[in-house]
Amino acid sequence: MLNILVCVKQVPDVDLVKMDPVTGSLIREGVPAILNPLDGNAMEAAVRVKEQYGATITAITMGPPAAEAVLRECLSVGADRAVLITDRAFKDADTLATSYVVAKAAEEFGPYDLIFCGKETLDGATGQMGAQLAERFGSALVTSASRILEIDEAADTLVTEREMETGIETVQARIPCLFTIEKTNYQPRIPNFKGKKAARFAEIVTRTASTIPGLDPSRIGAVGSGTIVPRTYPPERGESGVMIDEGSAERNGAKIVEILAETGLI
Amino acid sequence: MKEFNSVSPEIAAQLAAVVGERRFYMGDRVREDYTHDEMPIYGKHMPECVCEVESTEEVSAILKICNDNRIPVTPRGAGTSLTGACVPLHGGVVVCTERMNKILGYDLDNMAVHVQPGVLLQDLAADAEAHGLMYPPDPGSKTSTVGGNVATNAGGMRAVKYGVTRDYVLALTVVLASGEVMHLGKTVCKTSTGYSLLHLMVGSEGTLGIITEMTLKLVPQPGMNVSVLLPFFDMETCIATVPKIKMANLDPQSIEFMGADIVESSSSFSGKKIFPTVVNKKDVGASILVTFVGETEDELYEKMEKLDALGQTCGAIDTLVVDTPTLKKEVWTARSAFLTAIESDTKYMDELDVVVPVDKIASYLMFVHDVGEEYGLTVRNFGHAGDGNLHIYACSNDLEFDEFWRRNKLLMQRCYTECARIGGQLSGEHGIGHAKKEYLEESVGEVPLRMMQAIKAVFDPNGILNPGKVVS
Repeated sequence: MLNILVCVKQVPDVDLVKMDPVTGSLIREGVPAILNPLDGNAMEAAVRVKEQYGATITAITMGPPAAEAVLRECLSVGADRAVLITDRAFKDADTLATSYVVAKAAEEFGPYDLIFCGKETLDGATGQMGAQLAERFGSALVTSASRILEIDEAADTLVTEREMETGIETVQARIPCLFTIEKTNYQPRIPNFKGKKAARFAEIVTRTASTIPGLDPSRIGAVGSGTIVPRTYPPERGESGVMIDEGSAERNGAKIVEILAETGLI
Repeated sequence: MKEFNSVSPEIAAQLAAVVGERRFYMGDRVREDYTHDEMPIYGKHMPECVCEVESTEEVSAILKICNDNRIPVTPRGAGTSLTGACVPLHGGVVVCTERMNKILGYDLDNMAVHVQPGVLLQDLAADAEAHGLMYPPDPGSKTSTVGGNVATNAGGMRAVKYGVTRDYVLALTVVLASGEVMHLGKTVCKTSTGYSLLHLMVGSEGTLGIITEMTLKLVPQPGMNVSVLLPFFDMETCIATVPKIKMANLDPQSIEFMGADIVESSSSFSGKKIFPTVVNKKDVGASILVTFVGETEDELYEKMEKLDALGQTCGAIDTLVVDTPTLKKEVWTARSAFLTAIESDTKYMDELDVVVPVDKIASYLMFVHDVGEEYGLTVRNFGHAGDGNLHIYACSNDLEFDEFWRRNKLLMQRCYTECARIGGQLSGEHGIGHAKKEYLEESVGEVPLRMMQAIKAVFDPNGILNPGKVVS
């Protein structure tokens, strides 16, 4: 039976995030935290593989304790185990430090035949986690995977489609393989009540800096990060325009003159 | 038919003096938008002039001028009606309330809000929410004005639990055709104080007076909600479940139904397959979407548990839970876009907004589908299963307009006759306007219609208010 790892992240629902007009920072207060949408597609892809070939799925995330909500989402649609990596020591980790910790924590339930990540996250959008994890797991890497066509467990190979700007590419890869999943063919299913109920109080395996075996403290959190983010600020925006639709070119013209006169420009 | 006068230059000057030149539009300054609502298929009519009003006093002055000169007046909000209700059939003056869009204040101790009629439903809903309250009526068109909602007694999806717009109107300021201003109702919880002119105004579609201020009832914002999708093999089994849900004392906020065809249209329109067409390897013929509100997760789980058990005994394929922010957004966006999805792949269409006893929904839908087939029209439908209010669309992509309209009229007549026969009503929430006027008598009966006409004559002896609509 295949052993599958699905890496997910809880992100703020960016549709609802507003900028503080004074400081320019993101106001995350009161904004619902959601499962990163492409991670939902990754989870769906994993569940479809499980349905077709049989598999054990471990869902893993790193984040604050509240991030267990996205793990319960994964459990409700078919994950068999959920691992929450949470510790203030992991704060301010970049992708380098995060992929190190995730790979280390995931080892406990590995080795994995298939690893699924969303193509990128809504908030950071670096798209780096998949590649870094593939390197750490020593697996093949298929980015922008849009459809898994065939898995041959005996031969340890699989065939998958990749979505390219120029078209669809069909590739063969060896197992173990990590996919970064595109949303195209993997609309997440709506969980059923049975799944929700079971997931509601299911055990979440929690790991901290001190309970992940062999973790090097110099490689985690801000210390272990190769990059720093000195400042986050919104793109500069011009004022939004006014739509003039008075029904005809003449009337539109007259309205423009009226507005210009009102603002003292003419 | 009443004889009306047209807007002479002298009268135009008087009207312009009321609202000021900048809010008075005449001749070619009148935009084409004013000739129709969201169903232009019922015909377009140009008003002679448009007055954008900002106060009760202005409305009063305009009506006095028009009543004295027998000039028809058509009140209009955002123009989202679906029955031609705000279309100036006889020309004359359109009184547009869109600029009266202020939320005047909250009376939190009495859970009420005081608003002008041009406030958009979506703005009131958001503002009430920011005050920790909810304005329960939830008609599909969020960009409709609340004044228009009151004038049509609009309903919406939450009617199952909360009722309709009428149930939330505490007081109104109304300008009569004569220009007299009338204050109806008070901010009180109940009343038994003479005939309810307040409730006569609600749903009168601008034929008895023009609403210029409203006091509306609010309720505390529920702490949380969850939607549950029950997929079924076919529509009959699906609809037969609805009365059982209501009987089970689960107190749902809404129960919506959708057939496989509408789900298909919706996913090809949005490019996203939100509602499943296959569940547990079984084809889904129809689904109901049930929404619960509550204060705790435990409370909602208890309701879902009961619904799940009920669904199993009623033949539901599964019980799917829509409870994450992402799923809720996707599911309700898709549900709200059903009409747009139908419009997007339909050349001509007309709609029924009938309301039938809940136990008759399935058989009535079958009847309409059969009649549609007989006339070569495609019938699409979705709607509020919980209250029997059905939105059924007769559509055609191949026929020329005249032939479509001829067949459509035959279909409508038969469907309305059947609706009356099984104890239904002509309109659940869109109103009568002029599009459904000819079917009103069959729905309400000859004597009640005569009483309605008599009431109209008392309120508006010259028949200037929204002529050609409802009973005039």
